[in-house]
Amino acid sequence: MGYVAVKGGTLAIEESIKRLKFERVKQGRTIEVEKIQAGMRGLIDQVMSESSIYDETLAALAIKQAEGNPEEAVFLLRAYRSTIPRKHYSRVIESDEMQLERRISASFKDIPGGQILGATTDYTHRLLDFRLMEETDESVQEWLHQFHNEDSQNEEQVTDLTLAKVLDYLRKEGLIPPCENNNQEPDDVTRESLEFPSTRSQRLQILTRGQTGAVTSLAYAVIRGYGALHPTVGELRVGKLPVTIDHPTSEGNDEDSYYIGEVQVTEAEMLMPVSVEKEYGKKEMEFEIGYGLCFGQNETKAIAMGILDNCLEHPNNEFPSHNEEFVLYHIDSVESTGFISHLKMPHYVTFQSKLDSVRKTKKEERQEVNS
Amino acid sequence: MKRRRRTEILINGSQKLAETLTKTITEHYDVKVIQEPENGLVMMKVRETSKKSLFYPGEVLVTECKVQINDVIGIGIVTGEQPELSHHLAVIDAAYEANLPETKEWIQLLEHEEQNIIKTKVTENQSILKTKVNFETMDVS
Repeated sequence: MGYVAVKGGTLAIEESIKRLKFERVKQGRTIEVEKIQAGMRGLIDQVMSESSIYDETLAALAIKQAEGNPEEAVFLLRAYRSTIPRKHYSRVIESDEMQLERRISASFKDIPGGQILGATTDYTHRLLDFRLMEETDESVQEWLHQFHNEDSQNEEQVTDLTLAKVLDYLRKEGLIPPCENNNQEPDDVTRESLEFPSTRSQRLQILTRGQTGAVTSLAYAVIRGYGALHPTVGELRVGKLPVTIDHPTSEGNDEDSYYIGEVQVTEAEMLMPVSVEKEYGKKEMEFEIGYGLCFGQNETKAIAMGILDNCLEHPNNEFPSHNEEFVLYHIDSVESTGFISHLKMPHYVTFQSKLDSVRKTKKEERQEVNS
Repeated sequence: MKRRRRTEILINGSQKLAETLTKTITEHYDVKVIQEPENGLVMMKVRETSKKSLFYPGEVLVTECKVQINDVIGIGIVTGEQPELSHHLAVIDAAYEANLPETKEWIQLLEHEEQNIIKTKVTENQSILKTKVNFETMDVS
């Protein structure tokens, strides 16, 4: 059987795209981008984090266009990102500058500054709230009015809700090895392809933009035994980081920089107990830190990132979760969903080739049986 | 007032202030727009706390504008899609760079706005601190 090159399908594709719009609007109603932005904080945060671009409005638009499908929304935002010029790099952002909205530790009950729960679903009952079926803009505004007028029991006049890190106390106690600032310029996986062995900055960049589900699943596998770690949340923070840039042509200090706004992030510092060999073969217990940071309030992802960060710092061929090629090549949303979904595209020629081989083999088998 | 503090007040405060300050300049000087407000990206550079090294967690969308007053260029840059505010910020930046006399009058307005921002922050922080856990030791009999 010979191969025949074919073309066509343009009209069918046009009608298919029209049909896609029909599915989005067939109920005769549309959802405004500002309503998505107002009520879908979790999805917006996930999409921004996986797209590696921070802008709630763009994320809401992508979610609308993708009909709420995160993998498609991330694809749209990544594509849009590639059309906009990168104009600046920020000054170095230190995470202890974070204006806190939430901060907890699972390792220490009494931490300076206290455990601040902020907004969390951790202590909710996960019962469907059917009252939300009747919720209106008016009822929400009334609730907000009451909320803002509630008397505060806390008389502290805190203008700057920043707190020292739990890790700093552990470093002072000598439970974590001391560490100096390393100011080497990071690598950028969006500019240069990843090569192995990877650098720490490449690993962290790929982990932070990884697909939430993929990052979480691999970290879960580590804890279940497909890895060699026993992590605890040393500190988890959600809050806003100020972003500043230097003047493009003149050098200056922090006071001469441009403040351009703030970005909400989640940061997780995971503590891993390790046995360290000291002088004369004496073994001591110390802690290592796995680091996670991602856009928005994405706590599970930040914790999972912290676990995988530490795994990749300790390569171990016994476990795929400690293999940087396995982890870093398979957690990106656009790469993994793109490859899987490309299987839907026409593979007529390659499949016909396989089919020919199978037919030929069968024919030869029949001839051997008959002879 | 230094640029970092000034831009933080103008971005986090009421946009009316940036608009008012800009008006005092555009009414008396020839403000030439070098670059209309346009979108761009700023790559964030963050220090992680495990090895204290630097990495790029992602980019933030910004709007940037450039203007010229008396041969001096001012830059306005702010996160999100905010063309008007980026223009105001550029005019104010150029006014400071050109050391225009009007800027001497602005210090009080900026400080007043800074106080408003602080008041709002205090209220927000008080609300957040209501979620601070007050541990009580349980009696075990």
